[in-house]
Amino acid sequence: MKDKVRDWLETGKVDLFLGYKQVDGHPLPHAFSKENLAELGELIVSPARYALEKLATEILAIKPALKIGILGRDCNQRAVNVLTVHQQISPGQIQILEVNCCPSPLRKHAACSTLQPQTYGAVKLELGVDNNMSVAQMDQFDQESLYSRWMYEFQKCLKCYGCRDICPVCFCKECSLENNDLVATGGLPPEVPLFHLIRAVHMAGRCVDCGLCEEACPVDIPLRLLYRKVNGIVKDLFGYETGGSHEQPPFSLLGESTPPEAEPHSKAV
Amino acid sequence: MTKKRMTFLKELLPFIGLGGRLRLEWISSAEAQKFVKVVTEFTEQIRNLGPNPLAKTYGDSLDSLDLAPAPSEATGSGCGCGCSKAAAGA
Ligand code: SF4
Ligand code: SF4
Repeated sequence: MKDKVRDWLETGKVDLFLGYKQVDGHPLPHAFSKENLAELGELIVSPARYALEKLATEILAIKPALKIGILGRDCNQRAVNVLTVHQQISPGQIQILEVNCCPSPLRKHAACSTLQPQTYGAVKLELGVDNNMSVAQMDQFDQESLYSRWMYEFQKCLKCYGCRDICPVCFCKECSLENNDLVATGGLPPEVPLFHLIRAVHMAGRCVDCGLCEEACPVDIPLRLLYRKVNGIVKDLFGYETGGSHEQPPFSLLGESTPPEAEPHSKAV
Repeated sequence: MTKKRMTFLKELLPFIGLGGRLRLEWISSAEAQKFVKVVTEFTEQIRNLGPNPLAKTYGDSLDSLDLAPAPSEATGSGCGCGCSKAAAGA
């Protein structure tokens, strides 16, 4: 692993390599470079995950000429695909050095300990939504129960914006969640379910099911489940495979279906 | 685009328990009868669904979970928090 990164940096395949370094017992994102090859000894691989492609995209926005390598799993690869489709990066700007992967409906093998099923308290199971549930299991509830369960979850929201900030595919310069015309900003509590529905709708054709938002959420709202439903719908209605497809997503294109040869489009559609 | 978005939303809203309250129709200014028919039908449909649960504040939404005494009958005429938002589809 370290040899490979060294090789990538020395041969100039990449100018920077984003990985993790143990600092005071915490695995933190770190940029390794040719100038500091000695640091490579501290590069670690652990179950810890971060949206390194998001950092890379932000660096590339400032220095587009760079080539950046990242330590990544399949979710990182899917996010890179989505970022490319949405023209945030160009193909080849980010190279991924793959490590073991987490379970997701989009990719079934391997294990990522950060996404092991958790056990939740009786109150949440009775009144809220069990984060381990599948979309199909949710469909067993009637409308009234679904509504009160989701509202139980949503009303816990602290509006910390953690879900948005960690999300590798949240790249908009102006965020709808900070637009006073759409949802009340500033004060607490947040407007629910509006806040979460806005985010959910914006994840259509974007969310790569990495689960980072749910991990980041301090109050355990089953965000990943909500976005799984969202992209399940996108798949059923439009046959679009978010994260895997290299075509434009349905909501970026006018017209009823997604033509295979997508024209460049304005992001404001 | 509108059609795509609405079709999508129609699938999403039932997932959080707000199904049956959304409808999209194209009606030209020359189609008065169609307008009347659609509005009558839809009004009937949402009346049968009862007041929009969103009309209550989120504080009150916990009441429906039997955590506290039941709130007075929701009127469906606003969200009850003093803002000017009208309740959609109530
Ligand atoms: S799972 Fe959450 S953090 Fe990951 S892409 Fe989807 S919305 Fe973003
Ligand atoms: S991470 Fe959780 S608490 Fe924070 S804004 Fe998102 S949903 Fe709300």
